Amino acid sequence: MNIDKKTQKYDRQLRLWQASGQLALETSKVCLINGTATGCEILKDLILPGIGSFTVVDGERVDGSDAGINFFLDADKIGSSRAQAVTELLQELNEDVKGYHFVEDPVVLIENQPEYFLQFTIVIATELHEKFLLKLAEILWNAKVPLIVVRSIGFIGYFRIVVPEHTVVETHPENVVDLRIDTPFPAIEKYAKNLDFDSLDDTDHAHIPYVIILLKYLDQWKREHDGNLPKTYSEKKEYQSIIARGKRTIDEENFGEALTNAWKACTPNKITREIQEILNDPACENITTKSSSFWIIARAIRDFVTNEGQGLLPLAGSVPDMKSDTTGYITLQTIYRQKAKEDAAAVRARVNDILISIGRTTDFIREEEIDSFCKHAAYIKVIRYRSLQEEYISDPKKSEINRWIQDPQENIIYYVLIRAIDRFYESHQRYPDAATFFNGDNSEEAASEESTTEFKELKTNIQSMLEEWKITNSPEHLDDFIHEMCRAGGSELPNIAALMGGLVSQEAIKLITHQYIPINNTIIFDGVKSTSSTYVL
Amino acid sequence: MAATQMQTDIPTPQDATDTVKKDWPGRWSNMNKFLDRRGPFCDSGFIPGHGEDILLNQCRILVIGAGGLGCEILKNLALSGFKEIEVIDMDTIDVSNLNRQFLFRQSDVGSPKAKVAAEFIMKRVAGVKVSYYYGKIQDKDEDYYLGFHLIICGLDSVEARRWINATLVNMVQDDPERIRVLIDGGTEGFKGQARVIIPTITSCYECSLEMLSKPTSYPICTIANTPRLPEHCIEWASVLQWPKLRENEKMDTDDPIHIQWLYETALARAKEFDITGVTYSLTQGVVKNIIPAIASTNAIVAASCCNEAFKIITNSQPYLNNYMMYTGNEGVYTFTFEHQKKSDCPVCGIQNISVEVKRDITVEDFIDFLKEKPDIQLKKPSLTKASTNEKIYWQSPPFFEQKTRPNLEKKLSSIVEEGDDILITDSSLPISLTVKISYV
Ligand SMILES: [Zn+2]
Repeated sequence: MNIDKKTQKYDRQLRLWQASGQLALETSKVCLINGTATGCEILKDLILPGIGSFTVVDGERVDGSDAGINFFLDADKIGSSRAQAVTELLQELNEDVKGYHFVEDPVVLIENQPEYFLQFTIVIATELHEKFLLKLAEILWNAKVPLIVVRSIGFIGYFRIVVPEHTVVETHPENVVDLRIDTPFPAIEKYAKNLDFDSLDDTDHAHIPYVIILLKYLDQWKREHDGNLPKTYSEKKEYQSIIARGKRTIDEENFGEALTNAWKACTPNKITREIQEILNDPACENITTKSSSFWIIARAIRDFVTNEGQGLLPLAGSVPDMKSDTTGYITLQTIYRQKAKEDAAAVRARVNDILISIGRTTDFIREEEIDSFCKHAAYIKVIRYRSLQEEYISDPKKSEINRWIQDPQENIIYYVLIRAIDRFYESHQRYPDAATFFNGDNSEEAASEESTTEFKELKTNIQSMLEEWKITNSPEHLDDFIHEMCRAGGSELPNIAALMGGLVSQEAIKLITHQYIPINNTIIFDGVKSTSSTYVL
Repeated sequence: MAATQMQTDIPTPQDATDTVKKDWPGRWSNMNKFLDRRGPFCDSGFIPGHGEDILLNQCRILVIGAGGLGCEILKNLALSGFKEIEVIDMDTIDVSNLNRQFLFRQSDVGSPKAKVAAEFIMKRVAGVKVSYYYGKIQDKDEDYYLGFHLIICGLDSVEARRWINATLVNMVQDDPERIRVLIDGGTEGFKGQARVIIPTITSCYECSLEMLSKPTSYPICTIANTPRLPEHCIEWASVLQWPKLRENEKMDTDDPIHIQWLYETALARAKEFDITGVTYSLTQGVVKNIIPAIASTNAIVAASCCNEAFKIITNSQPYLNNYMMYTGNEGVYTFTFEHQKKSDCPVCGIQNISVEVKRDITVEDFIDFLKEKPDIQLKKPSLTKASTNEKIYWQSPPFFEQKTRPNLEKKLSSIVEEGDDILITDSSLPISLTVKISYV
């Protein structure tokens, strides 16, 4: 066996999202609106891991400041199309990725030909202001195409994920343990029952897997307590001491492991509230031809739970490493795997029935997809995002913002500033941009009239915004933040651009691969304090 | 700062016009908004209008590591206006670097990272001088490190970071002029951290050694007798079978033929025991101790390090005090806090470490204890009795090793009395620590 070039090149990331995640990346089409430094850093971090293609939509020409902060431009490109120039240099990063550019003002495209954007797997918008942003967001929302809105001003970075729904099967939880000690299935129950501890020699006794020890003594407990599990603190302690009495020598490691895990073992195995909510979701109830494979399998699992699952999810089937000899461990592993296979087969049969009932062929969902869903059933995730329209117009999170803004540890103040700056931009077609803060002791520094107006105007924008949101307590040190934003003058800093590139690409990868859990829904990074905050806005 | 003669290779860019190309209008306009204007959060030392000329032009920065973090760091520094950068790296480019180390191409595989990275940056960013050293950080002395204003470290090796940290702390010698700020970044999959270390003032790398996650190890008896996991079979192939069957050959984990042999050997053992899951990729992962790495996390951590460097050098904003932890697998989470200096830190502490051991512990077991102790973690400790300078056990030179070896079996208490100090050194680290012994 020899490993191909691509597997070698992507080895370090395949260990995080495997071939299935890589395939999703390699078939994705990413659109970047405006070839800003931040936008290009995002693309860089998506091209390197190997997306299928990228398209830069930008009508601007490269100017001196672009060429100063964007690694994918240089002075020779000043005056040429920014879309074309950055695409050329970004393309060099990975020969497996196709790069396209479209020389057109995104605003014009949004106005005249919005359906253009529906061809992409994901759209990332930088430097796009409120009015056109809302329009683009609505078009993409209706077509369920994810949009990430990104802003980078001075030391502040902001991004927002907008998509009606995002579902994840492979959330990659750190520890998956599903041993069913409290509700053993027949095969494992029988195996534990038939193993006679007393007949084992000392070596074998010291190698009984802890799972079997727990099952054995729990079975004994249940027989002595009308089939009930140890419930109270003292009952659990008693269960632990029964296990401890089973030890032949003080240093039997397997009994040590059993004692460590005893407490968890007598906690009843129940479907968590979060998973139950997914199973009760209307999308799970009303399966139609439009339902995604996620919801079809979720429905099959729901039906499994109420029937052959007897109230439980399909078994994950993995067994953690534990003190044991080889045969004991492998036998145990085989029993769990066998049961997981049976559960998955039952779910598969239900999926097929559902598919037939909605007039689809059974190859609509691959077997591996169902198996993976069964394995991760206890950890699946559904995120329903709020639309930008809700956030900006119909239902702003007024009271939450009011609460957050009173806490100086929060970065929400920058959200208010970014929104206010957008309004400033709308009326002036430029950012607030002036030195407005001066050292009183230094006579060389003095406020000019121009800088006073700049400060006042941005402050007026903020105050009217706070009024709209019925926020009456002006946040602490508000003036300082306004000074800082006037100082930034809408500038992009290479470090913040690169940092946002990392964060946004990471979230884009999660959205494209449907692996790991993306943010819901806004992040604000403050490069002054080096802190980040997440908000549902 | 001390003027130091640099003995490094400064490559001549292929296109000589690059270095003389004048700044163009607007080039620094983004940066200058911050350098020319005072802000409310500015450091008191900030003088508007001096950033570009004084701070950036005359500042020398050392970047340690030209890998995933290093490539990003070099790019960010050059774009932020730093004009004099030096990079050290001892590695050559491997094909598995290409998914994130964006200054390298397929055709660069096999070339020194430091050289290719330095040349790429100079070609792309006009007017920046990036010199490089292809070799180990241990080759350089204090004078060399004193020649920089600030050092940014993007390494994946704990050993190398402990070395540079201890070197920079020891270098201070009670003279604040000799303090060189160290900014350290590290990543692992979706996780990472950036921190600012001001030697002797803030907590140092060694102060936080306990925070490192312990590398997974498998007990030999499990590997030999009761394998359960595919990893056990792979360890059997590399730790037990290789020395036995290929006695005279050194195992090279970069050699695909060697990996193939380990894979096949492990697979055969797995079949014998009905163990599933041995793959080529897992074999490689286990024997090379591969840590997953992606472009995104590198970008985040490197940018954070460079952002701190920019703030420290320009005084344009307050800098990080002193630690930012990052996790990105579930949402985006950062934790920014002040890591406390440890008064008994072996590198920057002022207090000796006290340890309690059993009265019947042997010297050999005591050495194992030192290797395992989370806040010490030495590789090859050598022990000397402080009051008499008597050698308890020395790892090197061979003559002393041989001479002190019989002590390994002796009880520690037969050599060192209650309350005595032991001086511990380690040849791989510029560390010496004194440990006070008490018996229980
Ligand atoms: Zn320290």
